[in-house]
Amino acid sequence: VSGSDIPERSRGVIALLADNCTSCMLCARECPDWCIYIDSHKETTPPAGLGARPRVVNVLDRFAIDYALCMYCGICVEVCPYDALFWSPEYSYPAPEIQELTQEREALGDWLGSAPAADQV
Amino acid sequence: VSDLDPVAAVEDATGRAPGVDTSFGALTIDVAASSWRPAAQALRDDPRSRAEFFDWLSAYDDRDAGLAIVVRVWSMIHRQATILRCQVSRETPAVDSLTPVWAGAGWHERETFEMFGVDFLGHPNLVPLLLPEGFEGHPLRKEFVLASRVAKDWPGQKQPGESDRDLAGDDEARRRRRVRPPGLPDPGSWGPS
Repeated sequence: VSGSDIPERSRGVIALLADNCTSCMLCARECPDWCIYIDSHKETTPPAGLGARPRVVNVLDRFAIDYALCMYCGICVEVCPYDALFWSPEYSYPAPEIQELTQEREALGDWLGSAPAADQV
Repeated sequence: VSDLDPVAAVEDATGRAPGVDTSFGALTIDVAASSWRPAAQALRDDPRSRAEFFDWLSAYDDRDAGLAIVVRVWSMIHRQATILRCQVSRETPAVDSLTPVWAGAGWHERETFEMFGVDFLGHPNLVPLLLPEGFEGHPLRKEFVLASRVAKDWPGQKQPGESDRDLAGDDEARRRRRVRPPGLPDPGSWGPS
């Protein structure tokens, strides 16, 4: 985290583990600020083996959070049933233009590196 | 110093036992809107309360029950906060101004006036405090729809597996079947036509 010793569980930014995201839209629908944008499409995967059926899966095309609107409530992190969203303590991501505060999946994915691991129970 | 008993002070001043609510560790006294100023006066002057310090006054939208007017005051002698509350109707919300009791209530009442449309009878200068001239509506009432909710499409209306492209291809019937955002009135009943 940008050269500081803030607590690792500080709520600085929300990071995305895109592999876990099923494009279920729950976070986008629960977000009180309407600041999560998701685009996805459906693909049919070939049968896994003899007798198996082809499966239709959602493929994530876009996942973006507009940090100009986000109020850091964390409801999206709470509602995600697939553990695709995580708090990261990274706080330094200013932008000269307000549109650039919309962070796309690449940036959201990079922040995973600074997200602390879950507590061991 | 008398014993602390703001409820009795309000009861003696208004002639009837007020409602008492102690949720969230605070003492909230409910009175009729017609007893608003006498109750406030008693909270300030009665030795069992002595709440001379005005903290804040505001309101909240209690939907079918109308609007609730709330004032929080503090007794320095008793080191005790008291909240006084009354209900007014949504259609003609009006209550006596508390400016004769605590002059500092003036700005708070102006803000409550513009945000909820509550009339404070006897206020010396009841004009908007924060909203620009000509602003229409009362933004903190539940029926007030935010402009940003009119200007922007809800990102949650897409189904899993859909993108903005799919939305653009919607016909009228399909558009009407879309999931709607929680907390907004039905389309057609609000917003630009």
